[in-house]
Amino acid sequence: MSKYTPAVEAGLDRLREMAHGNYDLGWMNANPEGWGHEVTPGPLGVRLCDVETGYYGRVPEHGSEHGSMAPRGCAVPPGTTALGMYTLNEMAEVWAENAGLLYDEAVVRQWNSVTDVPWDKLAPLPDDIERAVCQMCTGLTEVEFVAGDMPAKWLCRINHDFHEVKLFLATQIMDEARHLDVFRKRALANGGGLLMASPCQEKLLSAILEAPDYTTASALMHIFGEGFVLTLFRQGEFLAPSEVEKAIFRLCMQDEARHVAYGVKHLKFFLERHPDRAEQVHAILDLGEQAIFGLTLEPQTSEPRAILAGGGLANIELGMARMAFIYAKQVREYLRRLQIAGLDREDRLTIPKEIPFDRVAA
Amino acid sequence: MGRKLFPSTEWFEALAQRMEHDRDAYRDLGSIDCTMVVRVDAPERSHLYEIVFAGVAVRSVRRLARIEDAAPGHFVLSASLETWREMIENIRAHGGPDLTHTLNYLTFPDYPMHVDGPDQLQVDAFYRYNQSLQRFFAGAAGVATAYARA
Repeated sequence: MSKYTPAVEAGLDRLREMAHGNYDLGWMNANPEGWGHEVTPGPLGVRLCDVETGYYGRVPEHGSEHGSMAPRGCAVPPGTTALGMYTLNEMAEVWAENAGLLYDEAVVRQWNSVTDVPWDKLAPLPDDIERAVCQMCTGLTEVEFVAGDMPAKWLCRINHDFHEVKLFLATQIMDEARHLDVFRKRALANGGGLLMASPCQEKLLSAILEAPDYTTASALMHIFGEGFVLTLFRQGEFLAPSEVEKAIFRLCMQDEARHVAYGVKHLKFFLERHPDRAEQVHAILDLGEQAIFGLTLEPQTSEPRAILAGGGLANIELGMARMAFIYAKQVREYLRRLQIAGLDREDRLTIPKEIPFDRVAA
Repeated sequence: MGRKLFPSTEWFEALAQRMEHDRDAYRDLGSIDCTMVVRVDAPERSHLYEIVFAGVAVRSVRRLARIEDAAPGHFVLSASLETWREMIENIRAHGGPDLTHTLNYLTFPDYPMHVDGPDQLQVDAFYRYNQSLQRFFAGAAGVATAYARA
């Protein structure tokens, strides 16, 4: 009786065959349709979109039923084991026409918080300004990684045939790791530290993580949440007291805009195929709007920005008035992005289009 | 080298040449694929220039008679000639923009510079490639510039 398992014995039998010159070589001609593929490199090199053409560029409306990690376009031997993981098997559930392009863009526009931020230019700031910067960074450190956790939650459920989407989401997770990292670093790097967390922020984060399906989670996070944060990043660059914050916000802004671009195109692709699902998207955006309105007016969110806009705590009222336009800009861009995706929310909006700070004060 | 007139195709081509010269630095920032229309509002008329970026280079620069002639996917960066002049002179004085003359600083409140486009995703391209666009305009530090009369 053999001391090895049947699987090991089968392997040894195969080895004996090879030792006698009996090779299989069936794999060499396993995929005649996929052989002879031609690629023309672009000026920068070979992008994903340069190789995903012809036979290999055909993305199925329904992902493969074998349920394995076999790459799209290869020959899959009968009996290949299914992983039993994939629940997102319909293209419309995850796809966006720009996913491959955004992946290519993400990998060539990567940066790092160690050497790409001019940390040597950090200098002591007035106490109120340093506290405001640190509070802003505390809030951003808290919120940023939801956009890593959310894709991570869904990634292993996406059929392997939609690898462009999986690859793009993987870059997003790395982007968000960098954002968490860089805002935490800034809060700790200049003699201050982390200040107060945001309960209102947690409501939005849980709505994103608990969304019932990928598309509603994506609409809430990529379009709504990241769209609003994109404006906050622009505001951060605008208010930056030094080159350090300028660089941080400008780099983060670029990443965030990429994520928003995926979300808009995914929702468009989805709604063109499932117009009947628009109400579910509206419903989750109702939740998001309620959460963001509370968040916008929460002291730990609004006051540090007003201090920076006014140039100090003594001018916080002036700063509040100066920054009143931000919210209206966020809402306007949010509605315009949804319009591109095919979702008209002008009449459905559950929050004001502007916050009338002057009238409230009066 | 003589001074280049702003705005003119020659002026933007001079920035494109500096971009070509700094190719490695732009490569570090990553590829940039978008079409930017620069609008310069002077008292007598507005001037429009289309700059098409591809990879880490400028593919083309051309003057437009009207905005409808621009490539379909584009964003428009608009300001008065005086604002453009102040930004360029600030870049020339400091070797790059100071804290209050970056593209984002000038456009964020929608004044004195404004960014718009046919749709929001095109406007978002301005945010997506901001670091590269900022570097492109920072190239003005090395371009001696004369200005059309305001």
